[in-house]
Order: sequence, then structure tokens, then C-alpha cells
Amino acid sequence: MDYEWNVSLNKAILNNAPKVDKILRENPYINDIAKDLRERKLEVLDNIDTYIKKTGESVEKNGGNFHIARNSAEAMDIVRNIIGNRTKIVLSKSNVLYEIKLREELSKEGKDIWETDLGEYLVQINNDMPAHLVAPAIHLSKKRISEILNENLDNTINENTSTEEMVKRVREFLINKYLSAEVGITGANAISADTGSVLLIENEGNIRMDTVLPSIHIAITGIDKIVPTLKDAFNEVIVQAANAGFYPPTYVNLTSGPSATGDIELQKVTPATGPKEFHVILIDNGRKEAMNSDLKESLLCIRCGRCYFSCPAYRLYGKEFGTSPYTGPTGIMWSAIVYKQYNKSELCMHSGGCGEVCPMQIPIPKIIEKIKFKYTG
Amino acid sequence: MEEILRERIMKMKDMVFENLMASFLPFPMDTKLFSSWTSSLSKNKKTVIYTSYMYQISGILKKYEKLFPKIYRINMPKKLMGLSKYIIRPGDSELKRSFYIINNITNLLKKSNIDFGYLYENEPYSGAILLESGFLYEFKKYGEKLMNFFHENGIEELITIDPHTTNALKRLQELINFDIKVVNYIELVDFKGSGEFVIHDSCLYSRAMNMYTTVRKKINESGIKLDENYLVTSKEMGICCGGPLSLISDKDSEDISKMRAESLLSVNDNVLIMCPLCYENLSQHISNIKDLAEVIS
Ligand code: SF4
Repeated sequence: MDYEWNVSLNKAILNNAPKVDKILRENPYINDIAKDLRERKLEVLDNIDTYIKKTGESVEKNGGNFHIARNSAEAMDIVRNIIGNRTKIVLSKSNVLYEIKLREELSKEGKDIWETDLGEYLVQINNDMPAHLVAPAIHLSKKRISEILNENLDNTINENTSTEEMVKRVREFLINKYLSAEVGITGANAISADTGSVLLIENEGNIRMDTVLPSIHIAITGIDKIVPTLKDAFNEVIVQAANAGFYPPTYVNLTSGPSATGDIELQKVTPATGPKEFHVILIDNGRKEAMNSDLKESLLCIRCGRCYFSCPAYRLYGKEFGTSPYTGPTGIMWSAIVYKQYNKSELCMHSGGCGEVCPMQIPIPKIIEKIKFKYTG
Repeated sequence: MEEILRERIMKMKDMVFENLMASFLPFPMDTKLFSSWTSSLSKNKKTVIYTSYMYQISGILKKYEKLFPKIYRINMPKKLMGLSKYIIRPGDSELKRSFYIINNITNLLKKSNIDFGYLYENEPYSGAILLESGFLYEFKKYGEKLMNFFHENGIEELITIDPHTTNALKRLQELINFDIKVVNYIELVDFKGSGEFVIHDSCLYSRAMNMYTTVRKKINESGIKLDENYLVTSKEMGICCGGPLSLISDKDSEDISKMRAESLLSVNDNVLIMCPLCYENLSQHISNIKDLAEVIS
């Protein structure tokens, strides 16, 4: 077993699992809203076409632009069309952006494109892939991070540099990127069909910058992220944050269209201070097919990352357990949905902790059993 | 990470399935020997204790797992495979231990006034390995054969004594309307015990079959004291012994066993298990390890 991985992971588990348990015990309402959310999301999965239509209408009613992509290639074409000749792009942490290989493709095309979440930034400059949904750089020790920053950002950084100082240097670098960015691209934790609002949760403050400073904001997410109402969307981000160990979350960003003002005779004028364009791209990429199969409940995943730490296979294999960015127990399900990759399911021991901790009560072990069957059946 | 060899997995599936359909056993085994732990139980009862040979063969499973890649590589002829039952045998002390456990469970059941018999060397294997490897089609097919066998032998109720068999049969009830009643011995008996342990839950009892609380309640009431630790023994954070992974990689399975043993030992030197396979995997790293059925009366 990789010694460095083992040490990093044990620290992460120690810091995270008891904290999540405490948050949930002290705030029992979170499990109640999680149960309700599960029902609301199932309702969307059962009526996906109606909800996609409704979401699109709501986004457009707010002055936003709505796009639907069947696969990664279509999503990338839509993105290219929107950004045109603009070159300066900032990104916020999103699995869907990895799924469609957005950064990789746009970098090849000469765009100056930067991850702004600290963990993702480290993954980017290390030419790496994220090791966890919520904590992408979980596999990197502080010493390794100091080496990566030394090579790629500032050669005065070394293993004795404090964590605070490292964070400060990255922040100074990224501030310039935010200020000059022409396009901000984010994912979405939830999108409400009734209001067309995108909700994004975070602690660093980078998403707030990404969604407000550039003149164009593009939110790209899967059709599974639709929830019926704005209330459900708020519930989703609270359940996600609590199960990820961040409660209360530092920032919840809500975007329902381009920036606007009504300050002159209450006439709505757009843009105001923030972006002049707001785009929502919803991607299918295997999700609809999964909705009609025995993988259906996998689509309830809210990406809290809690199942990772209860899983012996993830503890052993790290990001090799799944197809990055879809790793860990949820990643086995999502590698099957998006990439039709079934082989890593063979590494699952059906230990079952994943199903116990999942706030969406996804029967993960039974779904993985079906994926094993797809592989060998 | 070792390469996942689909072809090898498929070969194993075919081999195990073929054996099961032909002989009710996953590989050739000396059922006379493995059923010789008793001679006093009736052969003609509607309710039987059902070992599925799990305690008896757990010690040789690893040997078979090690042998399998060789069988796969050299395409060993069936006749030669048949002989393996005389070559691959558990050690005397292993067998003695397993017989002691089954006899102790038998005594506990008798003390609870339960009337039951035993199928001796005709006892079939449950098919758990098919289920746990994701061979659902074969598992269901074999499950039907198994159900017919029990019908033909007039069996209406099975008392299981290990988690793998219990889980396999409960899943058959869900998947093919397996209509034989299945009950686990822990749910049937009351017992006394002593000592202080950290418990390594069977994943199947605790999470797959939701017996985490039942098992703890019984043990706590018996007089045995359990040391609990959220990160090690909770239903959410407790993990597997690594056993199931050995079908893919012996080394990786070993890594998990070691990791699990270390975390258990950080809580208490005495470890309590409830599964013959957990015992096999963890006893290599833990000296004071006991099956529940070894410490209760
Ligand atoms: S499967 Fe469940 S526990 Fe795992 S990331 Fe998704 S919602 Fe969280």
C-alpha cells in the first residue's frame, strides 16, 4: 500500500468522519430534508423531459440562455460557440467539467484557463486528476504540495513554508486571473426547475468570483442536478455541505440570470455590475439511459463524498478505484453511467458502509453488484 | 493495482457454476469428513442446521484461491481437479476448531429447545460465492436447483450459522421467491459470555442484513463487554476484512486485512468475529481473535 496515500487518507478520515457525524447528530433536520430531497429527485428522474423543459423555460424567462447537450462533444461545441475568441477563462471545481474534458480541450486550443479552487489548482499544475469529489488534492501531502508550488508557482516555497503562506501565494496568483477573466465556467450543485436558479456551494470564495467578475458565466451540469423547486435546491446544498463536513457552509451562491438592476424607475436593465450573459448547459451523457435501468438511483447522488471514507477499496486504491473524476463508491456507479466502464466494480468488497452513510439512501452495494454483473454477465 | 483479468473471472465463474450444478459443491470436497462433526442429529427433520461447509472449509479456501490462477493457466483437467479434495485439506487443529464451533452452536440451539436435524454429507453449498462475485444469473439458476433440493428432502426451515450463507439465502428469497424459511442462530439463541473485546462486524450481518443492533444487543446482554470506537466499529465506518478481494488479488486482500487488523488492535487486543472467513483473514495479524461461537455458552 502506498505509504503517503495511507497517511494522507487517515488524516482526512480523522478530520472528517467524526465531524460529519457530529453535524448530523446536532442538526437532525438535515436527515429529514435529505429524505424529502430523495423523493423530490426521484420525481424528477421519473419525469425528466418535463423537468428539463420547465428548467429551460425558467432560465430563459430570467434572461439566461439555456442549452441541452446529448454528450461531451455537443457540450464542448456549445461552450466554444459562447466563448468565441475570448481567451481568459476561470473555472470552479466541477466533475462535469472533467467529464467533458473541458480544461484539457480548451488548453489545447490555446485558452488561458485556470482552476480556482485551491485543490483543483494543485491538481491542474501537477497534471493530475482529482482523488476525491470534495477534496480533490486529498492524495497530496503538504510536503508534496510545497514541491509542486515550488516548481510551478514560486521557487521560494519549500517544505518549511507554512500552509497559510502557501494559500496566500496561490490567492495572489489567482486574484489576477479572476480580475482579467472574460468567462467564468462553473458546475452546479442544483438547478431549480421552477425558477431556473443555479445553486453553488463553497467555502473558498472562488466561485463567487468566478460567477460575478467575468462578463460571461456558463454553468454546465448534468440533467440529474435538476430539482423541482428553489426550496429543494437550497435543501440539496445544505444536505451536501453537511455530509461533506462543512456546516454551515461559508458561501451559497445563487444565480438566476445575468446581472440586472431596477434602480432607475424600477425598469429592469441588464447587465448591471455582474455578468452580461448567463448560460446553463445541461448534459445527458448516459444519464437518461441510466434513469431507465437498474442504475437509476445512482442519479440521486449529490456529490457529498461521504461514501469514500467508509469504503475499504477506496482506502486501498484511492483514485484508481473508479475512472477519474468518478472515483470511490459513487464513482463506480458514475463510471458505469458516463463511461460504460464496469471493470473496477470487481474491486468492491461489498463492505456496505457506503450505503449506510449515503444521505440519499442510494443502495450503493446492490447497484455495484449489478455493475459487476454487467461486467461478467 | 493488479490487472483485473476478466477472462480469469469468467473462467472461475464457469468452473464454480459447473461444479455446483453437477454436485452442489463449488469445488471437489470431502463432505464426509466435513460433516463428521456430529453423528447424533436426526436426518429426517423439517428444520435443519445448515453449515454450507463454511466453517469447515474456510481454512482451505485460501489454498483454493492460490491454486485457481494455476488451474486457469494450465487448464487443469477435471479428473485432476477431482483429486484436489484429497490433497487440499484443512489442518487438524483448523478442523477441530470448526467442529467445536458448530457443536457449540448446536448445543445452544438445543438448550433453546429447538428441534432440528442435519443433512450430513448430502448438505449442499449455498451458492454464496456466485452472489458475492456478481454472477447473478448463475446464482439465481443455482438457487432454483437448491430450492428444489430442499423441497425434495422435505426441508422447510434452515438454521444458518454464518453470514455468507444467511445472506445468500435471504437474497434468494428476494430474487427467486426461495420459499424455505431462513433463520440465523444468533437470532434464535440466548447465551452467556465474558471478557472484553473489540468487535469486527461481519459486513453481511451488520450492514447487508441490518443485524448490527441485534448482534450488539445480544452480546452486551451476555456479559461480554465491547469496546466501541466510531471510526473502527460503527456501522458507518467499520470495514470489511478484505476477504472478498482475494478473488482478484491476494496481495490487495492481504493489505486490507492488515489495515483492518491494525485499526481493531488500536481499540483492544482481543478481537471478536462472527464469520469463518473474517477469522481466516484477520487471524494472520491478530493473535487474540475468537469467533463469537467460541466464547459463549
Ligand atoms: S453516493 Fe451518496 S454518499 Fe456517495 S457522494 Fe453520492 S450522495 Fe454522497
